Amino acid sequence: MTHNDYQERLAAYALDALDPVDSQALGEHLSNCMQCRDELIGLRDTSALLAHAATAQAPGDRVRAQIVSRVRAEAAPTPAQVVQMPVRGKTVWPNVLRLAAAIAFVALLAGVIVLWRRDSRLQREIARLSRRVDTQQNQMERDRDLMAQQKEALVLLTSANAKKIELNGTQVAQNARATVMFDEKTGRAMLFTQGLPALAADKAYEVWFIPKGHAPMPGKVFIVDPSGHAMIADQMPPEAMNNAVIAITIEPKSGSAAPTGAIYLASRAS
Amino acid sequence: MQAETSQISDNDLLKAIARGDEAALTGCYDRYRLILFSLILRILHDRHEAEDVLQEVFLQVWRRAKDFDESRGRAFTWLVTIARSRALDRLRASGSRIRSVTEAEADPPDRMGDAAEDAVRSEEAAIVRQALAELPEEQRRTLLMAYFEGLTQSEIAARLGDPLGTVKTRMRSGLMKLRELLRDQRRE
Repeated sequence: MTHNDYQERLAAYALDALDPVDSQALGEHLSNCMQCRDELIGLRDTSALLAHAATAQAPGDRVRAQIVSRVRAEAAPTPAQVVQMPVRGKTVWPNVLRLAAAIAFVALLAGVIVLWRRDSRLQREIARLSRRVDTQQNQMERDRDLMAQQKEALVLLTSANAKKIELNGTQVAQNARATVMFDEKTGRAMLFTQGLPALAADKAYEVWFIPKGHAPMPGKVFIVDPSGHAMIADQMPPEAMNNAVIAITIEPKSGSAAPTGAIYLASRAS
Repeated sequence: MQAETSQISDNDLLKAIARGDEAALTGCYDRYRLILFSLILRILHDRHEAEDVLQEVFLQVWRRAKDFDESRGRAFTWLVTIARSRALDRLRASGSRIRSVTEAEADPPDRMGDAAEDAVRSEEAAIVRQALAELPEEQRRTLLMAYFEGLTQSEIAARLGDPLGTVKTRMRSGLMKLRELLRDQRRE
């Protein structure tokens, strides 16, 4: 493609409407071309103005209060705490310890997934862990997202309809691994990843479900925690329930409608 | 609080949010709730889901305000992009199929409720709607399908039964023309 060809595709790219192959090629070009990057900024600003075309509608009054209460529950760091954040080892920020405990628990849980069907002793282990989850929920009152996901993981693990798909790291992420557990009936899925590198602030990982002969269907956009783990709840599209490849690529931080970045993890095609 | 924050620029509002200023977040909510909720509702067509997503959006704003870089585009663009992305994610995750073209284009009368609207924002909306009305219908339709339904050029071509090349041209011409019209507006 000539530079002109790339320029001509910027408008569609700004609208996230470029088809996957072109999108990937243009994405690579953009990392080398400041002129196109600058033009893209302007085109994205123009595209965003399309939001004004939507009929003006007001949300209910309770939404504001709900946002405030959830934000307060997240305990935003004060400037003093922000300064302390990079300190390693013993930290005065209690949530980091709780989160670390949660991560350790998830890693433990991930290990349990592999064998649970085959050993009845592990069934009792799961029961014990579920009681532990209840205890930890009291301690981790503020970390609601993680809590909801742990519950969901257990529901999924004990479901008779649960299926498992393993993802392996590609060349760019040889140490990465992931497991997807999903319920065949409801399509609810949990994705556990490990060994994925931390990303720059403007990037994130995105899940793709690729049924045979179908274009990739976007799943959740996520980032990993400091230890390289992620646990994500997602929904398998009906088309992907049998015989689909699941992949994880790197994308812009707000995600992409089609894969544009390198593939980090992929399951085997059957 | 509302009176105090109404003088602050969008950029400064986001910087304050990045510092953990809760009043700045509610100020941002008050300023942007109409435009963002309207956008999300247009995409999802479900008020309950849209309110849910609006909450998620402002949580993401709260967590990621420090990532906003004013050299990489307007604050408006950053906020609207988050809202659009989250709404399209929810649209795809819910498994509900995209509504028909005619429904997406329907233009019911404005229903803004009791809220006082930022005078500057409503002026910008009027300018943009006027500019959109000046685009050829096919170009406008292509832009709106891409933006509000999250469709690619191929999907739009398939949906309309038009050649892909035609759709590509309309999309590019449409966005370029919109940009031109809005530039001319600002010069006046």
